[in-house]
Amino acid sequence: MAKRRILPALSILVILLLVIVAILWWREHRSNDNPVQKVTATDEQIERGRYAARAADCAACHTVEGGGLFAGGFPMETPFGTVHGSNITPSADHGIGRWTAEDFRRGVREGVTPTGRHLYPAMPYNSYHLMSDQDLDDIYAYLMTRPAIDVPTPENSLPFPFNQRFLMIGWNLLFQNTDPLPAVSKGDSELWVRGRYLTDVMGHCAECHTPRGMFGQMNLDKPLEGGTLGRFKAADITPEGLAERGWTPEDLSRFLATGNAPQGSAFSEMHMVVALSTQYLNKNDLKAMTTYLMGDQPPAAKKVAIQPGGEQGRAHYLNLCAGCHGVSGEGKPNVAPAMAGNATIRQPDAVNLIASVLDGLPEQSFPGTGHMQSMPGFAAKMNDQQMAELVNYTRTTWGGLPGDIKPGQIAELRGH
Amino acid sequence: MTITTKPITLNINGKKQGPIDVPEGLMMIDFLHEYVHLTGSRLGCGQGVCHACVVIEDEADGSSHETRTCITGAHYFDGKTIRTVEGHATVDDKGEETPSAVQQAFMDHYSFQCGYCTPGFVNAATVFIEGLKRNPIARDELEEAILKAMNNHICRCTGYVRYYEAIRDVVLNTPGLIKETANG
Repeated sequence: MAKRRILPALSILVILLLVIVAILWWREHRSNDNPVQKVTATDEQIERGRYAARAADCAACHTVEGGGLFAGGFPMETPFGTVHGSNITPSADHGIGRWTAEDFRRGVREGVTPTGRHLYPAMPYNSYHLMSDQDLDDIYAYLMTRPAIDVPTPENSLPFPFNQRFLMIGWNLLFQNTDPLPAVSKGDSELWVRGRYLTDVMGHCAECHTPRGMFGQMNLDKPLEGGTLGRFKAADITPEGLAERGWTPEDLSRFLATGNAPQGSAFSEMHMVVALSTQYLNKNDLKAMTTYLMGDQPPAAKKVAIQPGGEQGRAHYLNLCAGCHGVSGEGKPNVAPAMAGNATIRQPDAVNLIASVLDGLPEQSFPGTGHMQSMPGFAAKMNDQQMAELVNYTRTTWGGLPGDIKPGQIAELRGH
Repeated sequence: MTITTKPITLNINGKKQGPIDVPEGLMMIDFLHEYVHLTGSRLGCGQGVCHACVVIEDEADGSSHETRTCITGAHYFDGKTIRTVEGHATVDDKGEETPSAVQQAFMDHYSFQCGYCTPGFVNAATVFIEGLKRNPIARDELEEAILKAMNNHICRCTGYVRYYEAIRDVVLNTPGLIKETANG
């Protein structure tokens, strides 16, 4: 008797589940037939939108090198697969040409498109959720008055089940933010409040600089304590972390504006952030960001005394590094940054230092006339032991850190 | 201030040099010019960009690669085997020099004018051709491979095309550098 009852109930349940999945799948895949939006805006609003779009660094993911502005395509490597930034030009079929201003607000703040399709949290809606109506409407006006570029966004390469967008409903239930991100510093000045908005909402700094949990969610117990997304680690940018590596609010402002400071030059993803976003911020906003990052009462920057490093490491440094970085680590303007006072050398885990020495870094231009030559990689020229000696030499000489990097740590990073 | 010196010994163009006491931190280009009087390698930018200063580093496994001497300390080369632009031509019993195939091709093609970048190009092209001897490539990959091999070298006179054509000629006229295909 029991069997007779269970079987039909089970069948109904399975059918119900299949119907739900089918509806969810359809919702993620249906096309947008809404009318194409014609947007007009004043020059003033367009300029405000341009500024806000830069502050929010939309171009970083929605533009790819060699592609049209905002035509999408930037491949973001995540632990779950590659997600491509979408086309956000007013293209009717490939972009946001059929989105209304209200659709745009929802898309940016909640990660849901007008047809109900869920965006992956590579779109930082968990930071943008508190973006002001004014900024959103200005960005919308700016984007919708750019030329439409009719190129499709490349397909993401995400394995099953991550390629099922409706799973984001569950992710959002667990991790979608409604509150502001936890404050990283103490303050209540007008600058601090503005800086918090620019850092946590517009600049979405926490997306890279906060460690993530196993589902890819930001670990909000450790805001801005440093995260790992790609080859390089996004540094700890809490007030304590920054001060520990010698940063002052003034130097940080200079770094965000120009990509260069006595503490080093921006490289990898941060170079892109400066190039596409922070260099365009006005002085007041730069000051606001650094006021928030370091607090109304910033901790004093820690100074390190130059200590003699190991002999072997010094020999490697003189042979392979001093030609550009200088015998005493003084650097060469527009060629190579100084090692003395360098914040990357002062990162305790040495990941970025080791990766730079292994892989090298590309030639880079900076706002204005700033420039850095390419740095050769030394993976083929040095074995793990030699590189550990070199890294330890720079740590003890200029980093105020123990020379405790083992050859095994070099080997581990060499493999990547 | 005292200058600390350390001895180095190395093989340059098939000849053992040293032990020679050399200051720590002296760049290899200065060692070549001032200590062993090999002045053919050129100091251009002095910061590793133009590649006029490259020498060939020979590895024990028979492979060879380029190393920039303006940003690499002389002591890095202690115990190593290198070739400079002076080491390519062969000399017969009467002291007559015969340029290498690469050097001859550069002259035949009028590849250079001022010649400042030429030592770097000679070394890079030689490394490229030695690489093809170990690992031949298909004919249709040749043009791109030349471009990739020479891309870092800067020349401000002849616009590269004559270097490029000279290297292609050497490769096509040297047996064994291009893979034989089914169609010949």
